[in-house]
Amino acid sequence: MNEPDSCSIFTHRHQGKIIQSHKEKNQRKQSGQRPAFRAVLQKSALAFLAMAPLLLGVIGLVGLFQVIVTPKMLTALFRGNSLLVDTLLGTLTGSIAAGNPIVSYLLGGELLDNGISLYAVTAFILSWVTLGFVQLPAELEVFGGKFTLYRNILSFIFTMFIAVLTTLTLQVLS
Amino acid sequence: MKKQQNKPFAFRGKYFFLSVCILYGVLFLFNRESAQPALLKSVHILVRILPIFVVVILFTALLNYFLQPRQIAGYLGRDSSYAGWLWALAGGIISHGPMYAWYPLLEDLRSQGMRDELLVVFFASRTIKIPLLPMMVDCFGLKFTIVLSCYILIGSLVQGYIYGLLNRSKLL
Repeated sequence: MNEPDSCSIFTHRHQGKIIQSHKEKNQRKQSGQRPAFRAVLQKSALAFLAMAPLLLGVIGLVGLFQVIVTPKMLTALFRGNSLLVDTLLGTLTGSIAAGNPIVSYLLGGELLDNGISLYAVTAFILSWVTLGFVQLPAELEVFGGKFTLYRNILSFIFTMFIAVLTTLTLQVLS
Repeated sequence: MKKQQNKPFAFRGKYFFLSVCILYGVLFLFNRESAQPALLKSVHILVRILPIFVVVILFTALLNYFLQPRQIAGYLGRDSSYAGWLWALAGGIISHGPMYAWYPLLEDLRSQGMRDELLVVFFASRTIKIPLLPMMVDCFGLKFTIVLSCYILIGSLVQGYIYGLLNRSKLL
């Protein structure tokens, strides 16, 4: 009987290992085992990187709006209007303005001190966060036109509604 | 539910970014006094929210690592119960930083079955900022902060509910 040479034994063992590793991979796939965390992290980072131009564009616009739309301009808009117009203006200006919500609180406090109604100030600080003309292009690209349009319409209506409800409730409570 | 696909890598919003660059270019030519501080402000914003971007990438990876798409769909998808609404509400309140920083994570969750009405709840409830509540109390008073926060919570859920109704009635 012929004995197999060392080279052929190595080849058989090597082929066996490859077959075994393929089997393991298939079993892992079938059992739904988790992939390596590094691969998942890489995938998330790549997905984020793909969105980088979109996010950088929004950041660029936010910077531009913060310089062009000054607090002085915003405060000047609220002089001598009816409550409804003030609330509407509060919602609109809040959605045009951009930046940290702290700024909206400070501006809102300033508006209150200047005699602007609480309806308008509440609408202003609410729409500052939930609505944003500056981020609309990014929202449109990520979530689609239908979702963006209806979410913003709902948000606009509810901002005014909540502003009115909050002020009325506070009036009743006091 | 949309199935997640392995799409080839491609930058998104290239033309939007290009438009913003052109806008800055034009502004630098005609109004340098506004363009320079605007650019500096943008860089400042970017530096400030970079840690949030890192958190979002990590959070997305952790979610994808520990949860299978069908599990995410179970929590936030069509068959999710009241817990899904509470998750969306809590997520919106806890999420820090600007709204657009969370778009990649939300898009990922949506592709794995998160319902649109829960996205609406998430966005609406972001008005409550826990770290900023003391500041709000200082500016507008405790009573105002409590009343407004309650209405925001209720309003967020109602907005999500209305969106769901409109979606189901095929009006959207």
